[in-house]
Amino acid sequence: MQLKKPGSVPTALMAASCALLGASTAKADDSYESDDWQVDSALLYYKEDQQRVQAIEPVVSLKRDFGDDRSLGVKLTYDSLSGGSPNGALPSHSPQTFATPSGASLQAPSGEPQTYTTSSGRVVALLEKVTLYTTEPGQLPLDPNFHDQRVAFSTSWQQRLGEQMRLSVGGDLSHEQDFMSAGLNAALARDFNNKNTTLSFGTNLEADAIRPIGGAPVGGTDYTQLQKGGNESKTVGGVLFGVTQVLSRRWLAQLNYSYDASHGYQTDPYKLLSVIDAGGNAVGYRFENRPDNRTRQSVFLENKLALGRDVLDLSLRHMKDNWGIKSQTADLRYRLELGNAMYIEPHARYYKQNAASFYNLYLNAADPAPDVMSADPRLGAFDAMTYGLKLGMTLADKSEVSIRLEQYRQNARDVPAAFGQLQGLDLNPGLKSFIFQVGWRFSF
Amino acid sequence: MMRRVAALAALLCAVAATSGCSTIGVKPWQRDLLAKPEMQLDADPLDAAIDEHVYFSKEASSGGRGFGGGGCGCN
Amino acid sequence: MTPASRAIPVSTAGARSARNGASSELRITQQQNGIYAATFFAMASPCEILIETRDAKLARRAAQAAADEAWRIERKYSRYREDSVLSGLNRSNGASVVVDDETAALLDFAECCFVVSDGLFDVTSGILRRVWTFDGSDRVPAPADVDACRAFVGFQRLLWKRPLLNVPAGMELDFGGICKEYAVDRALAAITARFSGAVLVNFGGDLCASGAPAAGPWSVGVERPDSDREARLLLDLTQGALATSGDTHRFLMRDGVRYGHILDPRTGWPVKDAPRSVTVAAGGCTQAGMLSSLAMLRGSEAERFLTEEGVKFWCLR
Repeated sequence: MQLKKPGSVPTALMAASCALLGASTAKADDSYESDDWQVDSALLYYKEDQQRVQAIEPVVSLKRDFGDDRSLGVKLTYDSLSGGSPNGALPSHSPQTFATPSGASLQAPSGEPQTYTTSSGRVVALLEKVTLYTTEPGQLPLDPNFHDQRVAFSTSWQQRLGEQMRLSVGGDLSHEQDFMSAGLNAALARDFNNKNTTLSFGTNLEADAIRPIGGAPVGGTDYTQLQKGGNESKTVGGVLFGVTQVLSRRWLAQLNYSYDASHGYQTDPYKLLSVIDAGGNAVGYRFENRPDNRTRQSVFLENKLALGRDVLDLSLRHMKDNWGIKSQTADLRYRLELGNAMYIEPHARYYKQNAASFYNLYLNAADPAPDVMSADPRLGAFDAMTYGLKLGMTLADKSEVSIRLEQYRQNARDVPAAFGQLQGLDLNPGLKSFIFQVGWRFSF
Repeated sequence: MMRRVAALAALLCAVAATSGCSTIGVKPWQRDLLAKPEMQLDADPLDAAIDEHVYFSKEASSGGRGFGGGGCGCN
Repeated sequence: MTPASRAIPVSTAGARSARNGASSELRITQQQNGIYAATFFAMASPCEILIETRDAKLARRAAQAAADEAWRIERKYSRYREDSVLSGLNRSNGASVVVDDETAALLDFAECCFVVSDGLFDVTSGILRRVWTFDGSDRVPAPADVDACRAFVGFQRLLWKRPLLNVPAGMELDFGGICKEYAVDRALAAITARFSGAVLVNFGGDLCASGAPAAGPWSVGVERPDSDREARLLLDLTQGALATSGDTHRFLMRDGVRYGHILDPRTGWPVKDAPRSVTVAAGGCTQAGMLSSLAMLRGSEAERFLTEEGVKFWCLR
């Protein structure tokens, strides 16, 4: 190898000595309290506009390095949700009254029968402990009692299997009032070509128990009948194939293909669709009903480029599923180093999806009710943009603090024109929210 | 789409796994920049997990990087 | 350059002292301006750690971590120890061995240096000491003996495919040209992982500093090779490393020709017109040490090489 450029020898030596000193080496004797535990913690505050969802989420993750590529990770998340979530019904010029899901019994309480009158004038028997809420004219109907606490725990173990292969196994548990989940995952990674290429294969399995408050409604039925069933469940399984390749001294790329299948109860038990007549009036509501099966495939490409002391991260993802949804995601981050102990990282993300085949903003009173339907905006067609900025600082004790602010905006596409009584109403206002996060990373 | 992706991935794997691939990649002593923590694919795992949770609850897509841990009741 | 009269603790760089038995004792004293100085012996050199702190316990813990790291590397790679990993590799007699991560990293570094220097730096060249004994006498070996020995020299003859190393029978590895500077960097890293103040690590003239004391930069004195010369080269160091290669003390003299002890592995003979000493400044000690070694190996071209590569250096002939 002939290096003719002046200054190339010191540069090559500098790179080589960095690699030498950065290489994992024998652990020094524990005469100096060695940093075995790494703690990564964050506090998230998420808020949507228009009194919609608000969440506070502290997260703590601990990792212990046992040397020789063996490590144990543990993560604890607590999530507190409040605010209101759209229930899928359209806004109206008249007030609308809905019943929040609660109570488990189909029997009306003994004593005086309690009823409530629907917007079309029908009188329905009230369930015990049902609370009513009314949506003002012109407002998007939000279920205001959307509060929940979630606790999640996950753990993972990584080790080597031979010189070129690594194994990781993990489990996770999640619990909230109406949803519990347990999962297992495992992955194998093998290096080739002097660790320039890595092939990985992973698989995961998850079992969810869904216990909607008040019981799971019978999908697709008239909302006012409040026909409820019991609890539901679903299972999810997935595989992932990945290739990671070093493309140059400055460029690392990863390409993943993943496939997952979900079988069981996929419906959101609290969501409805408005039934609208030819004049634009809401004449009733139906519970949504989603298919039992969902299979998804996605291709993901991530690039990391070292530019000087900075790092550029660009990732692309394409997803396709059997519900007719196709999505594209592009995510760009640029980590700009400021001095020796501080960095700033602007972030932009573009996301686009088309609607599920059974997505309907509302149902036509004239048509027979379809088998599967949903007005959940998450399954509709929309574009979304995120803009964010993160600032990180390394402190004197080598710990790192960071602060991150992101703005997220979802704009609905292909929204049918408002007609008749719906005129003047914003049928799908999209979503605006921000993410505010502070983080602290340290070792002990 | 999937057939094209599978072909691309298979090609990458074949190229990568053969030893004649000495042109793509770096020598062990050239890994200085790649060894930096901010150059790792999982450089900010908490940020990624938090973002993943937010987007999983507000959009129809999730994952791609690897497996998230634990479902939640949203979506 | 700041005057030497400033009341800053002075660390002595330069000439390596002779090997006179390892002592594993760590002594700590407090100098003026609150700088703690820890001294011990490792790798055949007097070693010194200077650390600016008010916390005596922290100074001792930091110095102990550095010393432990130096002794660990010495135990692992000294060719004078039968139980070292290096000696184990040299006894493998042509069998393939799986090496650990640290040894693999050192081999990769050695390979890089071999390639970058076009074969001038070669960790397999230690075996040439069997025919060359630099005791100041006139016993220069016969060319035939040198050629015979050269058959067992050459990094390209090793089979190195991480993590498998095959050292052909008759060949030997010697990390002496890398280890001390590597140990300096590792010892410094062991200290700076938990301590962010000013520290200077000096292993027998190969040194590295992280941060300068509040009162001013570390004042480092580089000894002149001729001991009767009074003036020392004084350098101010805030951050970074200095490493010195010297050719003064070991040589042969015959028919008026001086044979220095720096051998060119490609010919088996001493490098012609090597400088008496080369001191190089760089970001890290491993890097500085390798640059000074490469310069010495270029003999008469030492200064030109360092100038062309844009390296900061001081050369004495």
